[in-house]
Amino acid sequence: MELFRALGSLVEPPGPAQRRLGELLELPGEPNRADHTELFAFQLYPYASVYLGPEGMLGGVARDRVAGFWRALGLVPPAEPDHLTTLLALYATLAEREAAEPEPARAALLGQARRALLDEHLSSWLGPYLDKLVELAPPFYRAWGELLREALRAERATLGPADTLPVHFRDAPPAIDPAEDPATRVSALLAPARSGILLTRSDLARASRELDLPIRIGDRRFILDTMLQQDPHATVEWLSAEAERWAGRHERRVAEEGDIARFWAARARHTAAVLRGEALTVEG
Amino acid sequence: MSLKELNRRVSAARAETEARGETFYPGPSRVHLAAFPPRERWDDWVELDARAWPRKVEKRYVLVPTTCFNCESACGLLAYVDRDTLQVRKFEGNPEHPGSRGRNCAKGPATLNQITDPDRILFPLRRVGPRGSGQWEQVGWDEALTDIAGRIRKAILEGRGNEIMYHVGRPGEDGFTERVLAAWGIDGHNSHTNVCSSGARAGYHFWMGFDRPSPDHANAKVILLISSHLESGHYFNPHAQRIIEGKQNGAKVIVFDTRLSNTATHADYWVSPYPGSEPAILLAIARYLIENDLYDREFVRRWWNWQEYLACEHPDLPRDFETFERVLKTLYIEYTFEYASEESGVDARVIEQIAKVVASAGTRLSTHVWRSAAAGNLGGWQVARSLFLLNALLGAVATEGGTFPNAWNKFVPRPIHVPPHPKTWNELTWPSEYPLALHELSYLLPHFLKEGRGKLDVYFTRVYNPVWTNPDGFSWIEVLTDESLIGLHVALTPTWNETAFFADYVLPMGLGSERHDIHSYEQYDGQWIGFRQPVLRTARQRLGEVVSDTRHVNPGEVWEENQFWIELSWRIDPDGSLGIRKHFESRERPGEKLAVDEYYGWMFENSVPGLPEAAAAEGLTPLEYMRRYGAFEVRKRVGAVHEEEVPDAELVDVAINEFDRVFARSPKPDSPNVVPAPTPDGDAEGRRPVGVWIEGRVKRGFPTPSGRLEFYSRTLAEWGWREQAIPRYYRSHVHPAALADDQIPLISTFRLPVHIHTRSGNAKWLDEIAHTNPLWIHPRDAERFGGIRTGDLVRVVTEIGYFVVRAWVTEGIRPGVVACSHHMGRWRLSEVGQRQNMATVRLERQGDAWAMQRRHGAQPYESSDPDTLRIWWTDVGVHQNLAFPVHPDPISGQHCWHQAVRIQRAEPGDRYGDVAVDTAKAHAVYREWLRLTRPAETHSPNGERRPYWLLRPLKPAREAYRLPTARSVPAGD
Repeated sequence: MELFRALGSLVEPPGPAQRRLGELLELPGEPNRADHTELFAFQLYPYASVYLGPEGMLGGVARDRVAGFWRALGLVPPAEPDHLTTLLALYATLAEREAAEPEPARAALLGQARRALLDEHLSSWLGPYLDKLVELAPPFYRAWGELLREALRAERATLGPADTLPVHFRDAPPAIDPAEDPATRVSALLAPARSGILLTRSDLARASRELDLPIRIGDRRFILDTMLQQDPHATVEWLSAEAERWAGRHERRVAEEGDIARFWAARARHTAAVLRGEALTVEG
Repeated sequence: MSLKELNRRVSAARAETEARGETFYPGPSRVHLAAFPPRERWDDWVELDARAWPRKVEKRYVLVPTTCFNCESACGLLAYVDRDTLQVRKFEGNPEHPGSRGRNCAKGPATLNQITDPDRILFPLRRVGPRGSGQWEQVGWDEALTDIAGRIRKAILEGRGNEIMYHVGRPGEDGFTERVLAAWGIDGHNSHTNVCSSGARAGYHFWMGFDRPSPDHANAKVILLISSHLESGHYFNPHAQRIIEGKQNGAKVIVFDTRLSNTATHADYWVSPYPGSEPAILLAIARYLIENDLYDREFVRRWWNWQEYLACEHPDLPRDFETFERVLKTLYIEYTFEYASEESGVDARVIEQIAKVVASAGTRLSTHVWRSAAAGNLGGWQVARSLFLLNALLGAVATEGGTFPNAWNKFVPRPIHVPPHPKTWNELTWPSEYPLALHELSYLLPHFLKEGRGKLDVYFTRVYNPVWTNPDGFSWIEVLTDESLIGLHVALTPTWNETAFFADYVLPMGLGSERHDIHSYEQYDGQWIGFRQPVLRTARQRLGEVVSDTRHVNPGEVWEENQFWIELSWRIDPDGSLGIRKHFESRERPGEKLAVDEYYGWMFENSVPGLPEAAAAEGLTPLEYMRRYGAFEVRKRVGAVHEEEVPDAELVDVAINEFDRVFARSPKPDSPNVVPAPTPDGDAEGRRPVGVWIEGRVKRGFPTPSGRLEFYSRTLAEWGWREQAIPRYYRSHVHPAALADDQIPLISTFRLPVHIHTRSGNAKWLDEIAHTNPLWIHPRDAERFGGIRTGDLVRVVTEIGYFVVRAWVTEGIRPGVVACSHHMGRWRLSEVGQRQNMATVRLERQGDAWAMQRRHGAQPYESSDPDTLRIWWTDVGVHQNLAFPVHPDPISGQHCWHQAVRIQRAEPGDRYGDVAVDTAKAHAVYREWLRLTRPAETHSPNGERRPYWLLRPLKPAREAYRLPTARSVPAGD
């Protein structure tokens, strides 16, 4: 299980330890700070709460749920309980404790805890996250993402499919509502758990290129706002097509992830439909 | 490769790395700092301009690290330098700093206020008219330097080196100015430490050789603080974050504090003892551990100097550990929980409960005292000695979660030049009455000068404000205005202070972002260095400019001290004939002045292990690396140095004494780390101490005469204090038995978390948050003293006068004790000065009788900063220290701050802020306390002025230690 801890450590800013891990795992090239910053600080934040919470931001109810999981294990939640490094290290620790536990009942409990961590707080978001990451990342981190995906698949194959939908989705934030005002709509689009899509800065840059709209520097919300102001019709249409693309991606993971991928796909389809309706309205 | 194989490969690599004692995973703390600007973007960082809101205007910055100059913690700052205007727009934390880890207290960001303060001193000034008259003229650096250097040169040439004195408040770089003075060949260093931490230092020093603790709070199971260390003090910000980490991991926090401080509110166990009774509680805990065999027997047997204790104090008993244990069980027999309760007023059951919690800590007990009770009481140094006794009993010394000697967690790189020790001794700072004092008897200087013990020709006060900070400020004014006692007073300061008003020259020195220094402090089990630098100089250099004189980038003609001292030293010895100049010359260009780039470049290249390699890995020189990141971690997890074995190369011609101290003839190996360390004597044949013989091995041990932890201080016994040679409790000068019925102890030492002595008065944000110091008084006492209510004016009458302050009736203070905070009561005599936190006052003098009256408090004023028109507060507090006489502890030299006072309702005519003092009475109190001493002339066992092994700033050569008329008496006299 050391592999999970090592893969988690590679999400940390690169230093000598990460270079050494890269070599051990035979990842191509070396991790460098610029790539790391670009990927994890500007494109794909490695926190569960960003992908599972109603605001699409750090913290909030999604992080509280993850912190609650730590507490339920009798552990003090760390400052960032939902950071990918921390979650993968916890996964490795639970597996090691399970392996070292001589008492079968206790070992079974630890096994359940590990499974719950995988089902609830890792598989719930890492499917689309790694999908996107592998598309965006430079070679070192792309290979890292593929390896993590492979390792998670192997775990899933051993443990079997999840019994129930994760709590984040059982008690999911609402899908995008056609009646929402435009400002709230933009926020919802940027919250993956609501929209079913992951919109990174690079996606928005791509949109601006494809639509030939000048991009303005700022946070993603600001960028999206200014695009919608400049050409609402084209922007909404682009977003709708993007949501369709995401729905297709999610559906490709159904065989592997079951209900989790179905949830994501349904959200993306719904978003595409709502946006299509809006595009028609704009057109009409 | 399969997942299984990869897993196996990483596991094997981890096991191998950790077997070498190295870290495989750097740890999750790196993740938590992800919110900081990534360091690869520090050259061009873009943020939206907050002032332009709601418009989105981009600002581009160069981010330059430096080190905060407010308290001693040396936390890392990151200056946001605007690329368009090349001005600093804000300061935030430096995430690359291993001590503060990107987090700062309020004082760090407030550096911005200090550098933009409209009242700051921007040019060298020379007084016009009599000293203290408040009239100044601008003068060039050249003229000032020539005048000062000329006087110093003359004094040195005429053999009057002892008339040159440098008196420091906030130190800059470790050892820098000591080396300047050593190069001049004078014993001219004076510090503030005896009004600060000498008490605690003495307690630690007599135990372990080093004089500071380095608690590993983050990994502790029990954290015991005799302080309000979560909110103030050294090094509260780096320590506080680790205390909270410890707490998050389940540690219990015990706080001894007479007030309900912010720290007390975060404690699991808060006790509010009667001031001065703290050692009684600590020794009751020790008794509990000893009586119930809860101490770490093996640690005590291996590491205490119990053999020496038995030999000296019980020579008739067998010298074995079992005998010592039997004796130990009798030594603290009287310190029952009930006795501690009677002395402290804390319930015996609570003390028992705390004792059990302490016992549960095992080797994970982190403890800390720095000022607090150790600085308040006669014999306060025994607070630290009794506190460390608990660590020593539990073996919680240099363990994970325990308390380390500070020097093991500190790295002071060897500089380019190291001048020899001066061959003189200055009696004005190290008088023979106080042979064991930890630092200079600085606050007694006015009395020594008045008594005719000497005079000063050139007196530098450097970021130091004795008129305001020290007790008995009117006596300071008396000597500062007497030109026959102080020929020339030069104040080196970034901002106006009460002492600078009585200077001949006021020379503006840079703040935290305007000067160079290197720092290292004990904040966890590791070693780091932090670099302070003039950030505009570095920003301009990054943008391609060449800057060699910091004055060119600082505001006005504000300078940095390193360049100042180098320049001054060259002018004292322009042709090198005095042997001074060579210590300030370039090595690269012999015969030329040493430049700061070369000074630090050499140090980082040659004296910081690992830094050249880390820099090379990024394609930088070591100096470039430090200018870019501002800090470097030299070592992590130093561990138990005393348990390390001394290598064979150091064991040439070994001799072992009867107490297993090991001596050898091999020379001391050179170390790049020149952290000050004690110097225990060698043996009679000239060998030096190298370690301790323990179970067939030579272990490094501690730098004490015995090489062990000195439960029994033979030094104290031999220098006349045999009764205090083991940790004991002696009643304080404010013990109820020493007070009249109408007297009550006053605690005056506690701090306001956002201020730092007199240096933060020029920070408007901090002034707005905290600008008053009412008298804390319990409702019961308020009733007893005549129905005092919050806001009422009261007179606080001391031994030498009184001050008038407003009452704050609160249950946050123990009944029978009053308290008034430090930091407040700043004043100026005329319109010259700092206007945001200084009252304008009138001073009156009739012979020895002094009076201060307030003309007006703070008020709004027009300046370059529009915020000064928004000043809404008038109160700036009351200057209580003026009304305190000196109370020198006869052993540590610490000023014992607590006062026995009478509380009265204000009399008709009394006004807020009034202070009245009789300096003749102040001198009489000084004489009274002087009688408590046991001077070297009558108590030195070897004809020397002071035990040579003890730490001392600017340690003179051994020959200077000889008393002029050596006379020795038997030990223990």
